[in-house]
Amino acid sequence: MEALKAQFPATNFTLLAVVLALPLIGAFVNGVFGKRLGKAGVRLMALSALGGSFIAALATFLLLPKGEGGGTLAWTAWRWFSLNGRMGQTIPIDVAFSVDAMSATMMLVVTGVGFLIHLYSSEYMIKDPGYHRFFAYLNLFCFAMLTLVMADNMAVLFVGWEGVGLCSYLLIGFWFGEEKNATAGKKAFIVNRIGDFGLLVAMAILLYYTGSLRFAEINANARNLLDPVTIWPFGNLPIESQWDAANPSANALYKAIVHLFLPEKGIQVYASTLVGLAMFLGAAGKSAQIPLYVWLPDAMAGPTPVSALIHAATMVTAGVYLVARTSAVFLMSPAAMATVAVLGCATAIFAASIGLFQHDLKKVLAYSTVSQLGFMFIGVGVGAFAAGFFHVFTHAFFKACLFLGAGSVIHAMHARIHDTDKSQDIRNMGGLKKYMPITRWTFLLSCFAIAGAPPLAGFWSKDEILWRAFSTKIVAPEVGRLEPLWTWPSWLGQTIYWVGVVAATMTAFYMFRAYFLTFHGEFRGWKVVAGWKEPKHAHGHDDHGHDDHHDHHDDGTPLEGPKPHESPLAMTLPLMVLAAFAVFAGFLMAEPIHFEPLGHILAPVFTRAHDAVVLRGEGVEKLMWPMMGPGVAAFLAGTGAAMVVYLNKGGAPEEAFKKAAPGLYKLIYDKWRIDELYDAVVVGMVDALADIFTTADKWLIDGVLAKLTAAIVAFFGTVLRTFQTGRVQVYGAAMAIGLAGVGFFLVRPHADATVDDSKLRSAGEVVISAAPGPGYEYRWEGTGTEQKDFGPLREVRINVNPGETKDVKLHVRNAFAQEATHSFAITRPGRGFPSSAAPVPVVPGGVVPAGGGSIPAKDIPGLINPRGAQ
Amino acid sequence: MSTYVPLFLLFIVAAVLAGALFTISTVLGPKNPTPEKMIPYECGSETTGGRFVKPSVKFYLTAILFVVFDIEAVLIYPWTVEFKNLGWIGLATMGSFILMLVVALLYVWKKGALEWEK
Amino acid sequence: MNSGLFLGLSPLLVVSLGGLLLMVAEAFSKRRVDETSDDRDAGPSSELSLGTAVTLLAGAVFAAAIWFVGPEKLEGASSVAPWVIVDRFTLFFSFVLCLGGALAALLAGGYLPEHRLDRGEFYPLIIFSTVGAMILASAGDLLSLFLGLETMSLGVYAMVGFRRASLRSTEAAVKYFLLGSFAAALLLYGGALLYGATGHTDLAGIREAIANMQPGKGSNFALVITAAVLIIVGLAFKVSAVPFHMWTPDAYEGAPTPTTTYMAVAVKCAAFATMLRVLIGAFGEGGLESWAAGWPPVVALLAVLTMTVANLVAGQQESVKRMLAYSSIAHAGYVLVGVVATMRAGGDAQGSVMFYLLTYTVSTVGAFGALILMGSRGAEAVSYEDLAGVGKRHPAAGFAFSLFLLSLAGVPPTAGFFGKLYIVKASIGAGLYPLAIILLLNSVISAYYYLRVMVYMYMREPAPGAPIAKPMRSGYVATALVVAGVLVLVLGLWPTTSLQIAVEAALATR
Repeated sequence: MEALKAQFPATNFTLLAVVLALPLIGAFVNGVFGKRLGKAGVRLMALSALGGSFIAALATFLLLPKGEGGGTLAWTAWRWFSLNGRMGQTIPIDVAFSVDAMSATMMLVVTGVGFLIHLYSSEYMIKDPGYHRFFAYLNLFCFAMLTLVMADNMAVLFVGWEGVGLCSYLLIGFWFGEEKNATAGKKAFIVNRIGDFGLLVAMAILLYYTGSLRFAEINANARNLLDPVTIWPFGNLPIESQWDAANPSANALYKAIVHLFLPEKGIQVYASTLVGLAMFLGAAGKSAQIPLYVWLPDAMAGPTPVSALIHAATMVTAGVYLVARTSAVFLMSPAAMATVAVLGCATAIFAASIGLFQHDLKKVLAYSTVSQLGFMFIGVGVGAFAAGFFHVFTHAFFKACLFLGAGSVIHAMHARIHDTDKSQDIRNMGGLKKYMPITRWTFLLSCFAIAGAPPLAGFWSKDEILWRAFSTKIVAPEVGRLEPLWTWPSWLGQTIYWVGVVAATMTAFYMFRAYFLTFHGEFRGWKVVAGWKEPKHAHGHDDHGHDDHHDHHDDGTPLEGPKPHESPLAMTLPLMVLAAFAVFAGFLMAEPIHFEPLGHILAPVFTRAHDAVVLRGEGVEKLMWPMMGPGVAAFLAGTGAAMVVYLNKGGAPEEAFKKAAPGLYKLIYDKWRIDELYDAVVVGMVDALADIFTTADKWLIDGVLAKLTAAIVAFFGTVLRTFQTGRVQVYGAAMAIGLAGVGFFLVRPHADATVDDSKLRSAGEVVISAAPGPGYEYRWEGTGTEQKDFGPLREVRINVNPGETKDVKLHVRNAFAQEATHSFAITRPGRGFPSSAAPVPVVPGGVVPAGGGSIPAKDIPGLINPRGAQ
Repeated sequence: MSTYVPLFLLFIVAAVLAGALFTISTVLGPKNPTPEKMIPYECGSETTGGRFVKPSVKFYLTAILFVVFDIEAVLIYPWTVEFKNLGWIGLATMGSFILMLVVALLYVWKKGALEWEK
Repeated sequence: MNSGLFLGLSPLLVVSLGGLLLMVAEAFSKRRVDETSDDRDAGPSSELSLGTAVTLLAGAVFAAAIWFVGPEKLEGASSVAPWVIVDRFTLFFSFVLCLGGALAALLAGGYLPEHRLDRGEFYPLIIFSTVGAMILASAGDLLSLFLGLETMSLGVYAMVGFRRASLRSTEAAVKYFLLGSFAAALLLYGGALLYGATGHTDLAGIREAIANMQPGKGSNFALVITAAVLIIVGLAFKVSAVPFHMWTPDAYEGAPTPTTTYMAVAVKCAAFATMLRVLIGAFGEGGLESWAAGWPPVVALLAVLTMTVANLVAGQQESVKRMLAYSSIAHAGYVLVGVVATMRAGGDAQGSVMFYLLTYTVSTVGAFGALILMGSRGAEAVSYEDLAGVGKRHPAAGFAFSLFLLSLAGVPPTAGFFGKLYIVKASIGAGLYPLAIILLLNSVISAYYYLRVMVYMYMREPAPGAPIAKPMRSGYVATALVVAGVLVLVLGLWPTTSLQIAVEAALATR
């Protein structure tokens, strides 16, 4: 151990290179030489790459400096590029990796669960002609995922982020022969691009405010983000009540509309909220949260081990990881935290409700994943980062186990039915416990874990999240002399708690519904095989010719094709290991019984949460044990209901419900028709816009415009007709219109001005500067010194007494003798106004940013000095 | 602006005058058309073909080449006037200019653009 | 006369002399194509393509050499200013233009013989057009600017109509010529008005005269504004900004693909170079640079229109070549965003614009080159259907195409990603948040149609009975693709150095 520590110093921890390189080498070898290696060679290569990587990751975890302050292990590969910050400093971006407790845990999950799934796939995919291609992608995925969790900065994380997205896309569409699978891959890719857009925006803002992309420095400089940003109206639109002054006769409706777009004061948020929301958009895309969850259920088109590894255990949790990783940024914005928690909560219950009546076993698991991811976001959203991350950890085991179990079932079903959709339909299963005991027992244990049966893994992690949601609130960060823009309401946490309990009940119900329908009762798969006919009469009234036939059936013997059978050891071994973890992993962080080794290791990563996340009220902490009650009750109620409905009554109540409320049933079964809604709204809108432009190109410009301009063009017609080819005169007409437009803009005068009233309250002084323009002259009215004629004076300084309103008018005349006018009403509040210790600025112009105040206000672009570099 | 007013006046007068003369002659002139009178006059001989004949495309090629060398001459004139002041630099510049044109001529020749029949 | 002057002009001189020599050599060469022959190496392309590429690369090498010597150290080089300005800005663009031209010439070396167009005139045309483009990028005076513009354009008009037997090609050439003349006339008229208003034809002099001009009613500003309108429109035509873009898809589609490549990269880069010089050099003062009433809001609006319209229409195209034409319009929109940002964010923004043009050049050459590679005699790859399944049958060609498309879409770690990143950064730095957001949204839209090509290449099979595209075999095209591919990756993995060079070049004009 000590020898290893000496070999790998913490600042140049090259073992990380080994962790990364092995899967990459595996991907390369399998991708390039896979065909020549043969299946055995490919299997050996893929397994040894991941296994080696796991051992290196384990060594990393053990070598991690532990104790009070925590610690990191870092390795810098090379300098990638550098950027200039807003202060003119150089910001180097390195290809660098650093590992703390959270990264190390994720590495173990990725390589460990990844190894088990590789082992499982080596048997599952054995008959596939694309065997080597599959393992090349799978290894490449592990490489990208490791890059993501080990990244030292957001640029490297983004490479991993895109990498896992690409691999996911390739693997969803692995059987691209079918149109459906290719479409699912494309859907995932495009939805993720929307998320990536958010992530890129977040990166840009972070770079601007914190001057770094390194997580350590972002978290250290997070206070810089407490800088108000006017998000509406944009640019230098008038922000005072100039509209009133300019339009005294405006009626109320007109005023209301104007004020909607040009409110009296700009709407302000902190930069941290912008970053948080943008980052959450990215996280929601990757982790399938409302509103971007639609791709994940479709992603089940990929091979089942892929669903287990990518779409349950690792990649989809990247969003949770990202939020936890940048926890300091989120803590600067209670509003962003609340958004995360509320959307997580909504996703949890929404997806759970869809899961209730799905027939496709993998779809049930997919919606369950979306729902569980929602729980994780509740955790990170209420500031329980360790708890949220812990749920990532436990979920990886039991959900991987469930998916692999489902894969094992599908494997067995497929051997009989040879139809992908039918072999995944739980209506065709049943009674499988007889044939596949190992799969059944591991699946059952994982069901208990996910349903939250104490003391299995899912119970501890889910309970921890719900308890934190119930008991804590986020306090707004100290922002100096500015008011906090939004505070965390006290009812929010409790609401989330109770919604979460309902979602947990549903979880227990649909998981056990799936379990009972799959493993209990009679095997219904006989019917699906070709040659089966529904018996027309009851047994015994048949004519003799068919007797044999029916006797076979009644004995439960298949008509033709093999019986379902248990999977080979390479597939059941991972199931057993994962089930063991699903049972015991919860004890790594069991707060109520004060046994939390993982919690202790993780604690230094989230130290910043201590100040921001506080107990909701006095004495709440005493409720810890009582509040566990509803969680256990949820498990009991959900499981019990499923047992009654599907085990005792054979699913009759579901049928009854279907008959009683066919509309609602269909709506839930059709996933609340959200896909159709998106299709109609988003896709339809883009299509419609494109159609409009093509139509405009074709009809409007060709037809109307050409005819309208025909009269004008008639004079040139004789000249142009000589060269008449196609639609060239239309092109010319478009150019002429463009020319007219540009000319119109530049020939017209523009009376814009900026008002600097930062000294309005203190000294009653306001500086109004008119925007410059070519050959412009200015005349001011109401400034005190009356001006008769236009002159070059571009900036005026006026004094306003307390309680007084001054109307200032700016006239502008340009070289074409055109004139334009702009009015301002400037009001200084009266003396009776409760004055705080420091003057509160009216427009962002006066705001000195927090975080050291090192940024001169005039450097904040777009808000104050629209003239810019002159 | 006022300096241009006479110019505009001239335009207007010219246009009005021309229009007026045409109109007056059309209106006042005696019209007495016979088929003989409607035939284009071609030195007393019978007319053949349409009145618009397309020139051969080769004509344009030669014309463009002519323009190139025409411009050469235009450039050489002022140079000769200032020859002494420009000195050797001027000579070298003009030399390289003519050399370039020689190259162009060679190219055109070799490409067969100077052959009318081919 | 001194060596400094010759060294300073050496990129131009090398390319011009090389062009003359190649032209004569071609005229005297015995190689003529027999229209019925199947021997693709018998025609003039086999020699001229390489000769042209080498000549243009020599120009690029000379430009790079002067860069390292330092153009400010060359005494006497300033004696041709302002007609030809030898500064780092010029050298940067000379390099990019020569690179683009050389790669296009290599593509022509494979394309022309393959499609029975093998006539030697193409190569002198490409060289002299590049000479014009280089003059355009270095012109600090309206006269030489116009001269360069016309030298460049005349060659390109001929190259567009190079496929004489094809009606589409001829139609494209006539359209481009007509509208191009229209735009050139506007530019010339604007120049004349500027001269009338300021008494200068050199850009620096114009700027100074405008800065000292008396404002007010009836002042010369009326002329200046009119001139600005005309010149902005003329330049917008050359960079094919919406609504002055309508010639672009027709001309790009009708022209032989190497010409399209050349127009998309060299002509566009030169037009942007001169746009930067004119807008910042001549219209940088006196209220014309105003954010309320000058050219920046006009260019910003053009940028938004260009990006949005081009991207939306590009998604509707059925022809990959036409899609790439619209994509090049969209990219012009992205660059225009950067141009707007130059007025506030200064040298960095201009550097990002120039870096973008470099990344755009290599990616676009690659994309068109890959499209050329996908077709062969009698079966030119044009539509999406033509590309069905190519990626699986010919993995190397498919990979190359995918790489360049990803770069155009702006996916890391390709060059295009950093090009876009820096433009977005510059526009955010300039406070142009709405423009930056529109740019990002547009690049999301663009991913759709770039991805569509890849979907066809990898996930579709050709319809039964449909002709199956067979990639051509050409060392020239392969070389061009390898060079462009390496550059795309190098610029994507180590963008800093080239960005610094671009910023340094940008600072030369400020």
